[in-house]
Amino acid sequence: MVGLSIGETNFIRGGIAQDLRCDGRKRLSYRPINVETGVIPQAELGRPSSSRPDHGKVSIHVDCSATAAPMYQGKGGEELSSELALALQRGLLGSKSGAGAGIDLSSLCIVEGKTCWDLYIDCLVLSSDGNLLDALGAGIKAALSDTGVPRVQVMAADASSSSDQPEIDVSDEEFLQFDTSAVPVIITLTKVGRHYIVDATAEEESQMSSAISISVNRQGHICGLTKRGGAGLDPSIIHDMISVAKHVSEQFLNKLDSEIAAAQARQEES
Amino acid sequence: MEFVSPEGLRLDGRRPLEMRQLRAEIGSISKADGSAVFEMGNTKVIAAVYGPREVENKSQQISDKALVRCEYTMANFSTGDRVRKPKGDRRSTEISMVIRQTMESCILLEKFPQSQIDIFVQVLQADGGTRSACINAATLALADAGIPMRDLVTSCSAGYLNSTPLLDLNYVEDSAGGPDVTVGLLPKMDKVTLLQPDVALPEIMQMDSKLPIDIFENVMQLAIEGCKAVAIYIREILLENTKQLEYRRGK
Repeated sequence: MVGLSIGETNFIRGGIAQDLRCDGRKRLSYRPINVETGVIPQAELGRPSSSRPDHGKVSIHVDCSATAAPMYQGKGGEELSSELALALQRGLLGSKSGAGAGIDLSSLCIVEGKTCWDLYIDCLVLSSDGNLLDALGAGIKAALSDTGVPRVQVMAADASSSSDQPEIDVSDEEFLQFDTSAVPVIITLTKVGRHYIVDATAEEESQMSSAISISVNRQGHICGLTKRGGAGLDPSIIHDMISVAKHVSEQFLNKLDSEIAAAQARQEES
Repeated sequence: MEFVSPEGLRLDGRRPLEMRQLRAEIGSISKADGSAVFEMGNTKVIAAVYGPREVENKSQQISDKALVRCEYTMANFSTGDRVRKPKGDRRSTEISMVIRQTMESCILLEKFPQSQIDIFVQVLQADGGTRSACINAATLALADAGIPMRDLVTSCSAGYLNSTPLLDLNYVEDSAGGPDVTVGLLPKMDKVTLLQPDVALPEIMQMDSKLPIDIFENVMQLAIEGCKAVAIYIREILLENTKQLEYRRGK
């Protein structure tokens, strides 16, 4: 995707080995984050799955716009989008049975076994310069913190009524703010040569041998793990990468939270 | 349904000849050669231009001028109900073609033979007039990319409801079923490059006087005035952008 000459590749590799990257960052520092709240995930009323009757449903969808790169037009971006969506789901939603989900699904339940909120999270990639997963994870966290779930009143249903859908009155005025303190953030560690870097640009990503994306939450617990890239990794290295990710995640979470709070304050002012 | 109240106010409080608020931003996507975000009221679109560059598909290469490709997509969260299939549906294909033809008429294609120019437009929020917003955004993005053009292309829509010509329809007014027209204009040359009327037949049949040609001309003239107003705003934005670039260059 990115055409690099041999001189440039050597430059990138050599720099990383010496803890100095192309744009002057250290190996473990992030690019500046900019958060703007405005896009709201949509929630619809739906039925919970039979295996988890007291939880709501969340589905994540990623779309790579052609504005990010010409090759994403038409069907081009589909492979990347589905890969990203799957990785996000694994990181944020846990396994199929819903156990260990980063997002608290039980808050989305309305009537146990009958009705719940169906939350759709739609992500759109407009411009890409590497490290999409981290950016998407941070974006989802910011969007969720801005989401309001309308307050719902369940009308008393007749005990004898056999209708599946109890009557629900959805309030237009009152909103319950979604709780995002437990939502994890995704950190991607890219291994180039013998060192790992965080927040790789597209050029650096083209040089990677493998990458691990770890979703960590505020307590330092790991909510999900995805490995990409062909090269094999020694288990001790993976251990090491996980501890590095935990360490980096604290700073990243603090930065992200302060940016989200600043963005919300800006929104309230305007 | 009342679209124009007896006091002369529309559903969103505007007067019939009033446009929505315009907002534009150049250079949002650093990777693209040119990019722009354009907002008309609640309708928000982003356009990115890649080119001129080598043609991907050699068989489509044109020997004496550039090939223009355009793709129009709507984000699935852009409208009230979630659109399931953002790309490839018929409306998107049609609008892509319309935008391409409009931009082709104003770009100096002969300057770049055997190359291609890609214009990608993404609708982030749709509230009527997406076609116009896309064309305006594409013009700004092409200017940002430094691609030579004969003139700016600006676009605006106008319609006719409750016996009043209305400028710049939003979604509710657009889907009301009255006749409306989207016009694309080359403002300096005063030439119309795009004229897309959307005349709902039942409306004509019901009106006992068919759709008088002078009402249509009225509405079209109104849209042309709207285009000129957009052109003034776009020119301001481009001047401001050039001043910023000059300032950063240190002159």
